[in-house]
Amino acid sequence: MADDVVKIKSGKGVLHINFLQGATFVNVRKNLEEKLKSGSGFFLRGTVVLLPRDVFSAEENEELQKLFHEHGLICRTKTPEEAEMLIHNAAAKESRQIPKKSTKQDVQEMLVVNKTLRGGQEIRTESSVLIVGNVNPGAQIIAGGSIDIRGTCRGMVHAGATGDTSAIIVADHLMPTQIRIANLIARSPDAIEKSNRAERASIKNGCIIIEPIER
Amino acid sequence: MSEVIVITSGKGGVGKTTTTANLGVGLAMQGKNVVLVDTDTGLRNLDLLLGLENRIMYDLIDVTEGRVPYKKALVRHKKFETLYLLPTSQVKDKSAVNPEQLVKLCDDLRKEFDFILIDCPAGIEQGFKTAVAAADEAIVVTMPEISAVRDADKIIGELGRADKDNIKLIVNRIRPQMVESGDMLDMDDINDILSIDCIGQIPDDTMVVTSTNKGEPCITMEKSSAGQAYRNIVRRILGEDVPFMEFQTEGFFEKLRRRVFGK
Repeated sequence: MADDVVKIKSGKGVLHINFLQGATFVNVRKNLEEKLKSGSGFFLRGTVVLLPRDVFSAEENEELQKLFHEHGLICRTKTPEEAEMLIHNAAAKESRQIPKKSTKQDVQEMLVVNKTLRGGQEIRTESSVLIVGNVNPGAQIIAGGSIDIRGTCRGMVHAGATGDTSAIIVADHLMPTQIRIANLIARSPDAIEKSNRAERASIKNGCIIIEPIER
Repeated sequence: MSEVIVITSGKGGVGKTTTTANLGVGLAMQGKNVVLVDTDTGLRNLDLLLGLENRIMYDLIDVTEGRVPYKKALVRHKKFETLYLLPTSQVKDKSAVNPEQLVKLCDDLRKEFDFILIDCPAGIEQGFKTAVAAADEAIVVTMPEISAVRDADKIIGELGRADKDNIKLIVNRIRPQMVESGDMLDMDDINDILSIDCIGQIPDDTMVVTSTNKGEPCITMEKSSAGQAYRNIVRRILGEDVPFMEFQTEGFFEKLRRRVFGK
């Protein structure tokens, strides 16, 4: 396949996509589509696919992402660090050294807040959030990803705010005034009691459900 | 080594001014040089609680605007010679003082006093920001009531934003009977939410009202339970390790008497 416009390299459970220089978007799209249809064994569902950031425009990247999503793959563009990391890795391979940093690569982005969120304080982020502390009544967390609270949650929490229905909310004591996941809203019962187990809220069958978990 | 302590609460009516007056008197009773600065401009009360209203000549605004040196505005307490009050104006409003002016004033006061207690106005607006600007330490006063605890939580957040990390809590007006019957938040509930170091639990005491009206803080009254609680807080501020007092709950005979005589 000498005329392949798309090169796929796998590494650390992640697929890196590279385009041949001078490849047009139409060609790339067609080629990818064929590959996805034929080599279904190679593209396991849930694999993370990384696209180069600046070869195509944002809209075109989005279209490619959609294509991958249709085949059950998680696709996003590379952050500049990841692009650099790849070059790093290649260089490291040549000198036969095991790169230490590479484990960081498959960790998702997460905002860590190392304090108690008090009334009136708000966190808004595209990524997931880890709170080491409590979330007090009147505080708000709005996250694009999931929310993990190592403490008591009494505030308003919104996970998957950009539409991710697979987002979850976990807390040691989950007693929020309101829980929102993606486009669903649930409010606490009027008489709320403190639970002694960690709980997780997620969407099942179009409803927000809360279940105890081991932690 | 002088300390500037701001006494604040967020919510009004929880006992900021009462606490300021009592702690001031208590510290002076221990022989410390204390000045109380009232920053609740326009709604000044601290002078009333200390019974010093008729001795005020100049106020905080005169000092910050440079009309008189601060020494002229200080009012010495009738009984306790090491206790001074710097009253504020009743005719101006909160915008009359800005944070820089208060910081400068406190720096001057530090030279002469061991403790500078700032009585903060309610709310989180300019008055609050001015009052906390100069403080090394903050004491948050709250009551076992959901709205007061909420506001205290908000205030602690605001103090954190102003880089004040040394924050202590005083819970005022606790009614032991109501706590016992589960009708009032108990200390565990409050600590659970606020999670800051508590240095005082003050029972609800009718003597506080009488002492306020008389202009003599209840800390001087031997029999007052609130006075005892304030005396303990003073000792804790001075570094002693004092256990929290046990509240007297209604005994069998009191209950019986209340049932029978309906009092």
